[in-house]
Amino acid sequence: MHKGTSTKTWAILMVSPFVLCFILFWLAPMLLGLWVSLHNWNLSSGNNGFVGLQNYVDILTPGSLYNEAFMLALKNTLVFVVISVPPLVIIALGLALVLDNLPTRLKPVFRTIYFVSYSISVTAVSAIFLWLFNENGGFINNLLVSIGILDQPINWLSEQPYAWLSILIATVWWTIGFNMMLFINALDEVDPSLYEAADLDGANAFRKFIYITLPQIKNVAFFIIIMTVIASFNLYGQSRLITAGGPEQSTTTLTMGIQNTVFGMNQLGIGSSMAILMGIIMLLVTAAQYFMSYRKKEVN
Amino acid sequence: MRRKQKNIIIVTLAVLIAILFLLPLVWMVFTSFKTLSESMSSSAILPKVWTLQNYVDIFSPTSDAPILLWVFNTAVITAVGTILVVVIDILAAYSLARLNVPGKNIIIGIIIMALTIPGIVTLFPAFYIFKSFNLLDTFIPLILPYTASTMGVFLIYNFLVSFPKDLEEAAYLDGASQMQILRHVIFPAIKPVAVTLGVITFMGIYNDYLWPSLVINSNEMKTLTLGIATLIQGSNFVNPAGMMAATMVATIPAIVVFLVANKYFVKSVTNSGIK
Repeated sequence: MHKGTSTKTWAILMVSPFVLCFILFWLAPMLLGLWVSLHNWNLSSGNNGFVGLQNYVDILTPGSLYNEAFMLALKNTLVFVVISVPPLVIIALGLALVLDNLPTRLKPVFRTIYFVSYSISVTAVSAIFLWLFNENGGFINNLLVSIGILDQPINWLSEQPYAWLSILIATVWWTIGFNMMLFINALDEVDPSLYEAADLDGANAFRKFIYITLPQIKNVAFFIIIMTVIASFNLYGQSRLITAGGPEQSTTTLTMGIQNTVFGMNQLGIGSSMAILMGIIMLLVTAAQYFMSYRKKEVN
Repeated sequence: MRRKQKNIIIVTLAVLIAILFLLPLVWMVFTSFKTLSESMSSSAILPKVWTLQNYVDIFSPTSDAPILLWVFNTAVITAVGTILVVVIDILAAYSLARLNVPGKNIIIGIIIMALTIPGIVTLFPAFYIFKSFNLLDTFIPLILPYTASTMGVFLIYNFLVSFPKDLEEAAYLDGASQMQILRHVIFPAIKPVAVTLGVITFMGIYNDYLWPSLVINSNEMKTLTLGIATLIQGSNFVNPAGMMAATMVATIPAIVVFLVANKYFVKSVTNSGIK
Protein backbone atom coordinates (compact mmCIF):
# COMPACT_ATOMS: atom_id res chain seq x y z
CA MET A 1 0.00 0.00 0.00
CA HIS A 2 1.08 3.60 -0.48
CA LYS A 3 1.85 5.93 2.42
CA GLY A 4 3.89 3.00 3.76
CA THR A 5 5.62 4.79 6.61
CA SER A 6 2.47 6.25 8.06
CA THR A 7 0.79 2.83 8.01
CA LYS A 8 3.82 1.36 9.75
CA THR A 9 3.75 4.08 12.41
CA TRP A 10 0.07 3.45 13.00
CA ALA A 11 0.71 -0.28 13.20
CA ILE A 12 3.35 0.15 15.90
CA LEU A 13 1.27 2.69 17.81
CA MET A 14 -1.75 0.41 17.86
CA VAL A 15 0.01 -2.77 18.91
CA SER A 16 2.28 -1.19 21.51
CA PRO A 17 -0.20 -0.80 24.42
CA PHE A 18 -0.87 -4.52 24.31
CA VAL A 19 2.79 -5.45 23.88
CA LEU A 20 3.70 -3.21 26.81
CA CYS A 21 1.00 -4.69 29.07
CA PHE A 22 1.98 -8.20 28.01
CA ILE A 23 5.63 -7.59 28.82
CA LEU A 24 4.89 -5.94 32.17
CA PHE A 25 2.22 -8.31 33.47
CA TRP A 26 2.99 -11.63 31.79
CA LEU A 27 6.51 -11.86 30.42
CA ALA A 28 8.21 -10.10 33.34
CA PRO A 29 6.46 -12.28 35.99
CA MET A 30 7.19 -15.36 33.88
CA LEU A 31 10.93 -14.61 33.65
CA LEU A 32 11.08 -13.44 37.26
CA GLY A 33 9.47 -16.74 38.30
CA LEU A 34 12.12 -18.74 36.44
CA TRP A 35 14.87 -16.56 37.96
CA VAL A 36 13.47 -16.73 41.51
CA SER A 37 13.08 -20.50 41.26
CA LEU A 38 16.88 -20.77 40.96
CA HIS A 39 17.46 -18.80 44.17
CA ASN A 40 16.96 -19.14 47.88
CA TRP A 41 14.41 -16.35 47.76
CA ASN A 42 12.53 -15.36 50.89
CA LEU A 43 9.21 -13.55 50.50
CA SER A 44 9.99 -10.96 53.17
CA SER A 45 13.80 -10.76 53.27
CA GLY A 46 14.38 -11.15 49.52
CA ASN A 47 17.16 -12.90 47.61
CA ASN A 48 19.53 -14.99 49.74
CA GLY A 49 21.69 -16.26 46.91
CA PHE A 50 21.78 -18.42 43.80
CA VAL A 51 21.18 -22.13 44.40
CA GLY A 52 20.90 -23.47 40.85
CA LEU A 53 18.42 -26.31 40.59
CA GLN A 54 18.56 -27.06 44.33
CA ASN A 55 14.92 -25.97 44.89
CA TYR A 56 13.74 -28.45 42.27
CA VAL A 57 15.97 -31.17 43.75
CA ASP A 58 14.56 -30.48 47.24
CA ILE A 59 10.98 -30.67 46.00
CA LEU A 60 11.60 -33.90 44.09
CA THR A 61 13.77 -35.68 46.71
CA PRO A 62 11.67 -37.96 48.93
CA GLY A 63 11.86 -37.19 52.63
CA SER A 64 12.23 -33.42 52.50
CA LEU A 65 9.60 -31.14 53.99
CA TYR A 66 8.86 -29.55 50.61
CA ASN A 67 8.68 -32.91 48.91
CA GLU A 68 6.02 -34.07 51.36
CA ALA A 69 3.98 -30.91 50.89
CA PHE A 70 4.22 -31.00 47.10
CA MET A 71 3.53 -34.72 46.71
CA LEU A 72 0.56 -34.61 49.07
CA ALA A 73 -0.92 -31.66 47.18
CA LEU A 74 -0.21 -33.34 43.84
CA LYS A 75 -1.84 -36.57 45.02
CA ASN A 76 -4.93 -34.69 46.26
CA THR A 77 -5.17 -32.77 43.00
CA LEU A 78 -4.94 -35.97 40.96
CA VAL A 79 -7.66 -37.54 43.14
CA PHE A 80 -9.93 -34.64 42.25
CA VAL A 81 -9.05 -34.84 38.55
CA VAL A 82 -9.90 -38.55 38.55
CA ILE A 83 -13.21 -38.20 40.40
CA SER A 84 -14.36 -34.99 38.69
CA VAL A 85 -13.54 -35.36 35.00
CA PRO A 86 -15.85 -38.34 34.25
CA PRO A 87 -18.99 -36.75 35.77
CA LEU A 88 -18.15 -33.30 34.36
CA VAL A 89 -17.90 -34.76 30.86
CA ILE A 90 -20.53 -37.53 30.90
CA ILE A 91 -23.27 -35.56 32.70
CA ALA A 92 -22.58 -32.59 30.42
CA LEU A 93 -23.12 -34.81 27.38
CA GLY A 94 -26.32 -36.18 28.97
CA LEU A 95 -27.64 -32.66 29.54
CA ALA A 96 -26.80 -31.68 25.97
CA LEU A 97 -28.69 -34.74 24.68
CA VAL A 98 -31.73 -33.90 26.82
CA LEU A 99 -31.72 -30.33 25.46
CA ASP A 100 -31.21 -31.57 21.92
CA ASN A 101 -34.35 -33.73 22.14
CA LEU A 102 -36.59 -31.02 23.62
CA PRO A 103 -39.22 -29.28 21.47
CA THR A 104 -37.45 -26.34 19.78
CA ARG A 105 -39.24 -23.54 21.58
CA LEU A 106 -38.37 -24.96 25.02
CA LYS A 107 -34.65 -25.32 24.28
CA PRO A 108 -33.47 -21.76 25.09
CA VAL A 109 -35.29 -21.69 28.45
CA PHE A 110 -33.77 -24.91 29.75
CA ARG A 111 -30.38 -24.14 28.24
CA THR A 112 -30.30 -20.88 30.20
CA ILE A 113 -31.39 -22.58 33.44
CA TYR A 114 -28.68 -25.26 33.14
CA PHE A 115 -26.04 -22.65 32.31
CA VAL A 116 -26.90 -19.85 34.77
CA SER A 117 -24.85 -21.21 37.70
CA TYR A 118 -21.71 -20.84 35.57
CA SER A 119 -22.02 -17.04 35.84
CA ILE A 120 -21.59 -17.05 39.64
CA SER A 121 -18.26 -16.58 41.40
CA VAL A 122 -16.49 -19.44 43.14
CA THR A 123 -16.86 -17.61 46.46
CA ALA A 124 -20.65 -17.37 46.08
CA VAL A 125 -20.83 -21.03 45.05
CA SER A 126 -18.75 -21.93 48.10
CA ALA A 127 -20.91 -19.84 50.43
CA ILE A 128 -24.04 -21.59 49.18
CA PHE A 129 -22.67 -25.14 49.34
CA LEU A 130 -20.87 -24.52 52.62
CA TRP A 131 -24.25 -23.82 54.18
CA LEU A 132 -26.05 -26.57 52.33
CA PHE A 133 -23.53 -29.14 53.56
CA ASN A 134 -22.60 -27.61 56.91
CA GLU A 135 -22.47 -30.11 59.75
CA ASN A 136 -24.20 -27.92 62.33
CA GLY A 137 -27.14 -26.04 60.92
CA GLY A 138 -26.55 -26.95 57.27
CA PHE A 139 -29.73 -27.38 55.26
CA ILE A 140 -29.07 -30.89 53.93
CA ASN A 141 -28.39 -32.37 57.37
CA ASN A 142 -31.42 -30.54 58.81
CA LEU A 143 -33.60 -31.91 56.03
CA LEU A 144 -32.30 -35.50 56.05
CA VAL A 145 -32.54 -35.76 59.83
CA SER A 146 -36.01 -34.20 60.02
CA ILE A 147 -37.53 -36.55 57.45
CA GLY A 148 -35.84 -39.52 59.10
CA ILE A 149 -33.39 -40.58 56.37
CA LEU A 150 -30.50 -39.95 58.75
CA ASP A 151 -30.39 -40.61 62.52
CA GLN A 152 -27.30 -38.46 62.89
CA PRO A 153 -26.00 -35.57 60.83
CA ILE A 154 -23.27 -36.52 58.34
CA ASN A 155 -19.93 -34.74 58.68
CA TRP A 156 -19.98 -33.58 55.07
CA LEU A 157 -17.02 -31.23 55.43
CA SER A 158 -14.72 -32.91 57.95
CA GLU A 159 -14.84 -36.55 56.96
CA GLN A 160 -13.85 -38.34 53.77
CA PRO A 161 -15.20 -39.32 51.31
CA TYR A 162 -17.93 -36.77 52.10
CA ALA A 163 -15.57 -33.77 51.85
CA TRP A 164 -14.63 -34.70 48.27
CA LEU A 165 -18.28 -35.42 47.51
CA SER A 166 -19.32 -31.95 48.71
CA ILE A 167 -16.62 -30.26 46.62
CA LEU A 168 -17.51 -32.45 43.65
CA ILE A 169 -21.23 -31.64 43.82
CA ALA A 170 -20.50 -27.91 44.13
CA THR A 171 -18.12 -28.07 41.18
CA VAL A 172 -20.48 -30.05 38.95
CA TRP A 173 -23.33 -27.64 39.72
CA TRP A 174 -21.12 -24.63 39.08
CA THR A 175 -19.22 -25.53 35.91
CA ILE A 176 -21.07 -28.27 34.06
CA GLY A 177 -23.04 -25.76 31.97
CA PHE A 178 -19.87 -24.79 30.12
CA ASN A 179 -19.09 -28.32 28.94
CA MET A 180 -22.77 -28.79 28.12
CA MET A 181 -22.70 -25.74 25.82
CA LEU A 182 -19.69 -27.13 23.99
CA PHE A 183 -21.49 -30.45 23.51
CA ILE A 184 -24.62 -28.65 22.27
CA ASN A 185 -22.53 -26.91 19.61
CA ALA A 186 -21.00 -30.22 18.59
CA LEU A 187 -24.40 -31.95 18.37
CA ASP A 188 -25.74 -29.09 16.25
CA GLU A 189 -23.00 -29.64 13.72
CA VAL A 190 -23.74 -33.31 13.11
CA ASP A 191 -25.06 -33.69 9.56
CA PRO A 192 -28.84 -34.46 9.82
CA SER A 193 -28.74 -36.61 6.68
CA LEU A 194 -26.71 -39.20 8.63
CA TYR A 195 -29.65 -39.67 11.02
CA GLU A 196 -32.13 -39.81 8.13
CA ALA A 197 -30.12 -42.56 6.49
CA ALA A 198 -30.03 -44.46 9.79
CA ASP A 199 -33.82 -44.03 10.15
CA LEU A 200 -34.31 -45.63 6.75
CA ASP A 201 -32.18 -48.56 7.93
CA GLY A 202 -34.43 -48.82 11.00
CA ALA A 203 -31.76 -48.01 13.57
CA ASN A 204 -32.98 -47.28 17.13
CA ALA A 205 -31.99 -44.23 19.19
CA PHE A 206 -29.26 -46.08 21.07
CA ARG A 207 -27.60 -47.40 17.92
CA LYS A 208 -27.80 -43.97 16.31
CA PHE A 209 -26.05 -42.50 19.35
CA ILE A 210 -23.27 -45.10 19.31
CA TYR A 211 -22.68 -45.27 15.56
CA ILE A 212 -23.42 -41.70 14.43
CA THR A 213 -23.43 -39.17 17.27
CA LEU A 214 -20.36 -40.39 19.19
CA PRO A 215 -17.99 -40.66 16.22
CA GLN A 216 -19.17 -37.26 14.94
CA ILE A 217 -18.56 -35.42 18.24
CA LYS A 218 -15.37 -37.33 19.13
CA ASN A 219 -12.98 -34.44 18.45
CA VAL A 220 -14.98 -31.93 20.46
CA ALA A 221 -15.29 -34.49 23.27
CA PHE A 222 -11.52 -34.82 23.36
CA PHE A 223 -11.12 -31.06 23.53
CA ILE A 224 -13.66 -30.94 26.39
CA ILE A 225 -11.82 -33.68 28.31
CA ILE A 226 -8.52 -31.79 28.03
CA MET A 227 -10.13 -28.50 29.12
CA THR A 228 -11.82 -30.25 32.06
CA VAL A 229 -8.60 -31.93 33.20
CA ILE A 230 -6.89 -28.51 33.18
CA ALA A 231 -9.79 -26.90 35.08
CA SER A 232 -9.80 -29.67 37.70
CA PHE A 233 -6.02 -29.39 38.08
CA ASN A 234 -6.57 -25.74 39.01
CA LEU A 235 -9.04 -26.57 41.82
CA TYR A 236 -8.64 -23.88 44.43
CA GLY A 237 -11.58 -21.79 45.61
CA GLN A 238 -13.96 -24.62 46.45
CA SER A 239 -11.48 -26.52 48.59
CA ARG A 240 -10.08 -23.35 50.16
CA LEU A 241 -13.52 -22.10 51.17
CA ILE A 242 -15.77 -25.16 51.58
CA THR A 243 -13.41 -27.60 53.33
CA ALA A 244 -10.44 -25.28 54.08
CA GLY A 245 -8.18 -27.98 52.64
CA GLY A 246 -9.28 -30.51 55.24
CA PRO A 247 -9.94 -32.95 56.75
CA GLU A 248 -6.26 -33.53 57.57
CA GLN A 249 -5.14 -31.69 54.42
CA SER A 250 -6.84 -34.26 52.21
CA THR A 251 -8.40 -31.56 50.00
CA THR A 252 -5.32 -29.31 49.97
CA THR A 253 -4.65 -28.91 46.25
CA LEU A 254 -1.47 -27.94 44.37
CA THR A 255 -2.43 -24.28 44.11
CA MET A 256 -3.17 -24.20 47.85
CA GLY A 257 0.06 -26.05 48.64
CA ILE A 258 2.10 -23.54 46.63
CA GLN A 259 0.27 -20.64 48.26
CA ASN A 260 1.07 -22.10 51.70
CA THR A 261 4.73 -22.45 50.73
CA VAL A 262 4.94 -18.83 49.55
CA PHE A 263 2.90 -17.16 52.27
CA GLY A 264 2.91 -19.63 55.17
CA MET A 265 6.58 -20.60 54.94
CA ASN A 266 7.78 -17.37 53.26
CA GLN A 267 9.56 -19.41 50.55
CA LEU A 268 9.04 -17.57 47.27
CA GLY A 269 11.92 -19.50 45.65
CA ILE A 270 10.59 -22.94 46.52
CA GLY A 271 7.04 -21.80 45.73
CA SER A 272 8.07 -20.57 42.28
CA SER A 273 9.78 -23.89 41.58
CA MET A 274 6.63 -25.73 42.64
CA ALA A 275 4.50 -23.51 40.38
CA ILE A 276 6.78 -24.22 37.42
CA LEU A 277 6.67 -27.96 38.16
CA MET A 278 2.87 -27.78 38.33
CA GLY A 279 2.85 -25.94 34.99
CA ILE A 280 5.11 -28.58 33.44
CA ILE A 281 2.92 -31.42 34.77
CA MET A 282 -0.19 -29.76 33.30
CA LEU A 283 1.49 -29.25 29.94
CA LEU A 284 2.67 -32.88 29.91
CA VAL A 285 -0.83 -34.18 30.74
CA THR A 286 -2.32 -32.00 27.99
CA ALA A 287 0.35 -33.06 25.50
CA ALA A 288 -0.13 -36.74 26.39
CA GLN A 289 -3.88 -36.50 25.85
CA TYR A 290 -3.37 -34.62 22.60
CA PHE A 291 -0.86 -37.21 21.45
CA MET A 292 -3.23 -40.06 22.31
CA SER A 293 -6.08 -38.54 20.32
CA TYR A 294 -3.70 -37.90 17.41
CA ARG A 295 -2.47 -41.50 17.44
CA LYS A 296 -6.02 -42.81 17.53
CA LYS A 297 -6.90 -40.72 14.50
CA GLU A 298 -3.88 -42.10 12.65
CA VAL A 299 -4.83 -45.70 13.45
CA ASN A 300 -8.38 -45.17 12.27
CA MET B 1 -48.71 -40.55 19.18
CA ARG B 2 -45.28 -42.00 20.01
CA ARG B 3 -43.72 -38.60 19.33
CA LYS B 4 -46.03 -37.01 21.90
CA GLN B 5 -45.15 -39.64 24.54
CA LYS B 6 -41.48 -39.10 23.91
CA ASN B 7 -41.96 -35.35 24.32
CA ILE B 8 -43.74 -35.76 27.66
CA ILE B 9 -40.94 -37.96 29.01
CA ILE B 10 -38.15 -35.67 27.84
CA VAL B 11 -39.86 -32.49 29.10
CA THR B 12 -40.49 -34.12 32.51
CA LEU B 13 -36.83 -35.10 32.69
CA ALA B 14 -35.75 -31.59 31.69
CA VAL B 15 -37.96 -30.06 34.38
CA LEU B 16 -36.56 -32.37 37.08
CA ILE B 17 -33.00 -31.44 36.09
CA ALA B 18 -33.95 -27.75 36.05
CA ILE B 19 -35.21 -28.08 39.63
CA LEU B 20 -31.86 -29.55 40.69
CA PHE B 21 -30.03 -26.65 39.05
CA LEU B 22 -32.29 -24.00 40.55
CA LEU B 23 -32.60 -25.43 44.10
CA PRO B 24 -29.32 -24.01 45.46
CA LEU B 25 -30.21 -20.56 44.09
CA VAL B 26 -33.80 -20.71 45.37
CA TRP B 27 -32.47 -21.85 48.74
CA MET B 28 -30.05 -18.89 48.77
CA VAL B 29 -32.86 -16.41 48.02
CA PHE B 30 -35.23 -17.66 50.72
CA THR B 31 -32.55 -18.27 53.35
CA SER B 32 -31.52 -14.62 53.07
CA PHE B 33 -35.01 -13.70 54.37
CA LYS B 34 -34.92 -16.09 57.35
CA THR B 35 -34.05 -15.11 60.92
CA LEU B 36 -30.63 -16.23 62.15
CA SER B 37 -32.01 -18.96 64.42
CA GLU B 38 -34.40 -20.25 61.78
CA SER B 39 -31.68 -20.35 59.13
CA MET B 40 -29.60 -22.61 61.40
CA SER B 41 -32.37 -25.10 62.18
CA SER B 42 -34.66 -24.91 59.17
CA SER B 43 -35.41 -27.93 57.05
CA ALA B 44 -37.84 -26.04 54.79
CA ILE B 45 -37.04 -23.89 51.79
CA LEU B 46 -39.51 -21.12 52.64
CA PRO B 47 -39.04 -18.97 55.76
CA LYS B 48 -41.67 -19.32 58.52
CA VAL B 49 -40.97 -15.74 59.56
CA TRP B 50 -39.88 -13.32 56.84
CA THR B 51 -37.32 -10.69 57.79
CA LEU B 52 -35.26 -8.01 56.07
CA GLN B 53 -32.92 -7.81 59.05
CA ASN B 54 -30.05 -9.58 57.23
CA TYR B 55 -30.04 -6.93 54.52
CA VAL B 56 -30.33 -4.11 57.08
CA ASP B 57 -27.34 -5.62 58.89
CA ILE B 58 -25.02 -6.01 55.92
CA PHE B 59 -25.83 -2.53 54.59
CA SER B 60 -25.42 -0.82 57.98
CA PRO B 61 -22.26 1.32 58.31
CA THR B 62 -21.17 -0.55 61.42
CA SER B 63 -21.20 -3.91 59.66
CA ASP B 64 -17.85 -5.69 59.51
CA ALA B 65 -18.70 -6.23 55.86
CA PRO B 66 -18.61 -2.79 54.13
CA ILE B 67 -20.69 -4.17 51.30
CA LEU B 68 -21.51 -0.83 49.66
CA LEU B 69 -17.81 -0.14 49.39
CA TRP B 70 -17.30 -3.59 47.85
CA VAL B 71 -20.03 -2.85 45.30
CA PHE B 72 -18.30 0.43 44.46
CA ASN B 73 -14.85 -1.18 44.15
CA THR B 74 -16.23 -3.95 41.98
CA ALA B 75 -18.02 -1.45 39.71
CA VAL B 76 -14.84 0.59 39.23
CA ILE B 77 -12.46 -2.26 38.51
CA THR B 78 -14.84 -4.22 36.25
CA ALA B 79 -15.76 -1.10 34.22
CA VAL B 80 -12.21 0.23 33.84
CA GLY B 81 -10.69 -3.22 33.39
CA THR B 82 -13.20 -4.36 30.77
CA ILE B 83 -12.93 -1.16 28.69
CA LEU B 84 -9.12 -1.22 28.85
CA VAL B 85 -8.90 -4.86 27.79
CA VAL B 86 -11.37 -4.51 24.92
CA VAL B 87 -9.77 -1.32 23.53
CA ILE B 88 -6.19 -2.56 23.86
CA ASP B 89 -7.06 -5.92 22.31
CA ILE B 90 -8.98 -4.43 19.36
CA LEU B 91 -6.13 -2.07 18.51
CA ALA B 92 -3.53 -4.84 18.74
CA ALA B 93 -5.60 -7.34 16.76
CA TYR B 94 -6.30 -4.79 14.01
CA SER B 95 -2.63 -3.91 13.78
CA LEU B 96 -1.62 -7.58 13.63
CA ALA B 97 -4.29 -8.64 11.16
CA ARG B 98 -4.18 -5.67 8.78
CA LEU B 99 -1.21 -3.34 9.14
CA ASN B 100 1.85 -5.57 8.71
CA VAL B 101 3.38 -4.50 11.98
CA PRO B 102 7.10 -5.36 12.22
CA GLY B 103 7.68 -8.62 14.07
CA LYS B 104 4.07 -9.67 13.47
CA ASN B 105 4.76 -13.42 13.29
CA ILE B 106 6.85 -13.38 16.45
CA ILE B 107 4.10 -11.54 18.36
CA ILE B 108 1.43 -13.97 17.17
CA GLY B 109 3.67 -16.92 18.03
CA ILE B 110 4.20 -15.59 21.55
CA ILE B 111 0.46 -14.95 21.97
CA ILE B 112 -0.36 -18.55 21.12
CA MET B 113 2.42 -19.87 23.34
CA ALA B 114 1.21 -17.74 26.26
CA LEU B 115 -2.28 -19.23 25.84
CA THR B 116 -0.93 -22.71 26.57
CA ILE B 117 1.08 -21.83 29.70
CA PRO B 118 -0.86 -22.39 32.94
CA GLY B 119 -1.62 -19.23 34.91
CA ILE B 120 -0.10 -20.57 38.14
CA VAL B 121 3.39 -19.99 36.72
CA THR B 122 3.06 -16.18 36.62
CA LEU B 123 0.75 -15.74 39.63
CA PHE B 124 3.16 -15.46 42.57
CA PRO B 125 5.96 -13.61 40.72
CA ALA B 126 3.35 -11.07 39.55
CA PHE B 127 2.30 -10.65 43.18
CA TYR B 128 5.95 -10.14 44.14
CA ILE B 129 6.41 -7.45 41.50
CA PHE B 130 3.42 -5.45 42.81
CA LYS B 131 4.68 -5.96 46.35
CA SER B 132 8.14 -4.67 45.40
CA PHE B 133 6.62 -1.51 43.92
CA ASN B 134 4.43 -0.98 47.00
CA LEU B 135 1.28 -1.30 44.92
CA LEU B 136 -0.49 -3.92 47.01
CA ASP B 137 -3.90 -2.91 48.35
CA THR B 138 -4.54 -0.48 45.48
CA PHE B 139 -6.75 -0.66 42.39
CA ILE B 140 -3.72 -1.00 40.11
CA PRO B 141 -3.08 -4.74 40.59
CA LEU B 142 -6.85 -5.28 40.50
CA ILE B 143 -7.11 -3.78 36.99
CA LEU B 144 -3.90 -3.76 34.96
CA PRO B 145 -2.82 -7.44 34.99
CA TYR B 146 -5.97 -8.44 33.08
CA THR B 147 -4.66 -6.47 30.08
CA ALA B 148 -1.89 -9.06 29.65
CA SER B 149 -4.39 -11.75 28.67
CA THR B 150 -3.74 -12.85 25.09
CA MET B 151 -7.13 -14.53 24.65
CA GLY B 152 -8.89 -11.36 23.46
CA VAL B 153 -6.26 -10.43 20.88
CA PHE B 154 -6.34 -13.98 19.58
CA LEU B 155 -10.17 -13.94 19.39
CA ILE B 156 -10.43 -10.66 17.46
CA TYR B 157 -7.36 -11.41 15.33
CA ASN B 158 -8.93 -14.67 14.17
CA PHE B 159 -12.18 -12.88 13.36
CA LEU B 160 -10.45 -10.15 11.35
CA VAL B 161 -8.30 -12.59 9.39
CA SER B 162 -11.41 -14.33 8.08
CA PHE B 163 -13.23 -11.04 7.43
CA PRO B 164 -13.06 -9.58 3.88
CA LYS B 165 -10.86 -6.51 3.40
CA ASP B 166 -12.82 -4.88 0.54
CA LEU B 167 -14.56 -2.19 2.58
CA GLU B 168 -11.38 -1.06 4.28
CA GLU B 169 -9.52 -0.87 1.00
CA ALA B 170 -12.31 1.19 -0.54
CA ALA B 171 -12.27 3.56 2.43
CA TYR B 172 -8.48 3.77 2.23
CA LEU B 173 -8.59 4.68 -1.47
CA ASP B 174 -11.16 7.36 -0.64
CA GLY B 175 -8.52 8.91 1.61
CA ALA B 176 -9.80 7.80 5.02
CA SER B 177 -7.21 7.77 7.84
CA GLN B 178 -6.43 4.67 9.91
CA MET B 179 -8.48 6.06 12.80
CA GLN B 180 -11.46 6.76 10.52
CA ILE B 181 -11.25 3.25 9.08
CA LEU B 182 -11.15 1.81 12.58
CA ARG B 183 -14.14 3.86 13.68
CA HIS B 184 -16.41 3.57 10.66
CA VAL B 185 -15.48 0.24 9.12
CA ILE B 186 -13.79 -2.03 11.66
CA PHE B 187 -15.75 -1.24 14.84
CA PRO B 188 -19.20 -1.88 13.32
CA ALA B 189 -17.92 -5.12 11.76
CA ILE B 190 -16.32 -6.56 14.88
CA LYS B 191 -18.98 -5.34 17.31
CA PRO B 192 -20.37 -8.83 18.08
CA VAL B 193 -16.91 -10.26 18.84
CA ALA B 194 -15.96 -7.15 20.83
CA VAL B 195 -19.14 -7.45 22.95
CA THR B 196 -18.42 -11.15 23.44
CA LEU B 197 -14.91 -10.31 24.61
CA GLY B 198 -16.34 -7.60 26.87
CA VAL B 199 -18.76 -10.05 28.49
CA ILE B 200 -16.07 -12.70 29.07
CA THR B 201 -13.68 -10.08 30.46
CA PHE B 202 -16.32 -8.57 32.74
CA MET B 203 -17.25 -11.99 34.10
CA GLY B 204 -13.59 -12.93 34.54
CA ILE B 205 -12.73 -9.80 36.52
CA TYR B 206 -16.00 -9.80 38.47
CA ASN B 207 -15.61 -13.42 39.55
CA ASP B 208 -11.85 -13.55 40.07
CA TYR B 209 -10.94 -14.73 43.55
CA LEU B 210 -7.36 -16.06 43.83
CA TRP B 211 -5.54 -13.04 42.35
CA PRO B 212 -7.45 -10.37 44.34
CA SER B 213 -6.98 -12.46 47.50
CA LEU B 214 -3.19 -12.16 47.03
CA VAL B 215 -2.95 -8.43 46.31
CA ILE B 216 -5.71 -7.04 48.55
CA ASN B 217 -5.54 -7.02 52.33
CA SER B 218 -7.70 -4.25 53.74
CA ASN B 219 -11.45 -4.72 53.99
CA GLU B 220 -12.11 -1.35 52.30
CA MET B 221 -10.32 -2.34 49.07
CA LYS B 222 -12.05 -5.69 48.52
CA THR B 223 -14.27 -6.70 45.64
CA LEU B 224 -17.65 -8.38 46.20
CA THR B 225 -16.23 -11.75 45.21
CA LEU B 226 -13.29 -11.42 47.60
CA GLY B 227 -15.56 -9.98 50.29
CA ILE B 228 -17.72 -13.10 50.26
CA ALA B 229 -14.59 -15.20 50.84
CA THR B 230 -13.72 -12.97 53.81
CA LEU B 231 -17.18 -13.48 55.26
CA ILE B 232 -16.87 -17.25 54.85
CA GLN B 233 -13.52 -17.28 56.65
CA GLY B 234 -14.43 -14.63 59.21
CA SER B 235 -16.78 -14.10 62.09
CA ASN B 236 -20.00 -14.31 60.05
CA PHE B 237 -19.17 -17.98 59.61
CA VAL B 238 -22.04 -19.06 61.84
CA ASN B 239 -24.76 -16.98 60.22
CA PRO B 240 -26.16 -18.66 57.11
CA ALA B 241 -28.95 -16.08 56.73
CA GLY B 242 -26.55 -13.12 56.76
CA MET B 243 -24.15 -15.03 54.55
CA MET B 244 -26.87 -15.65 51.96
CA ALA B 245 -27.96 -11.99 52.02
CA ALA B 246 -24.39 -10.95 51.18
CA THR B 247 -24.14 -13.71 48.58
CA MET B 248 -27.38 -12.44 46.99
CA VAL B 249 -25.88 -8.96 46.64
CA ALA B 250 -22.72 -10.43 45.10
CA THR B 251 -24.55 -12.82 42.79
CA ILE B 252 -27.38 -10.72 41.34
CA PRO B 253 -25.20 -8.41 39.16
CA ALA B 254 -23.44 -11.43 37.63
CA ILE B 255 -26.72 -13.22 36.92
CA VAL B 256 -28.32 -10.06 35.46
CA VAL B 257 -25.35 -9.52 33.11
CA PHE B 258 -25.48 -13.20 32.21
CA LEU B 259 -29.20 -13.07 31.35
CA VAL B 260 -28.98 -9.78 29.43
CA ALA B 261 -25.87 -10.81 27.51
CA ASN B 262 -26.93 -14.45 27.21
CA LYS B 263 -26.58 -14.41 23.42
CA TYR B 264 -22.98 -13.19 23.64
CA PHE B 265 -22.13 -15.50 26.49
CA VAL B 266 -23.33 -18.44 24.42
CA LYS B 267 -21.21 -17.16 21.53
CA SER B 268 -18.17 -16.89 23.79
CA VAL B 269 -18.41 -20.61 24.47
CA THR B 270 -18.70 -21.34 20.77
CA ASN B 271 -15.61 -19.24 20.16
CA SER B 272 -13.60 -20.94 22.88
CA GLY B 273 -14.42 -24.27 21.30
CA ILE B 274 -11.64 -23.83 18.78
CA LYS B 275 -12.00 -26.67 16.34
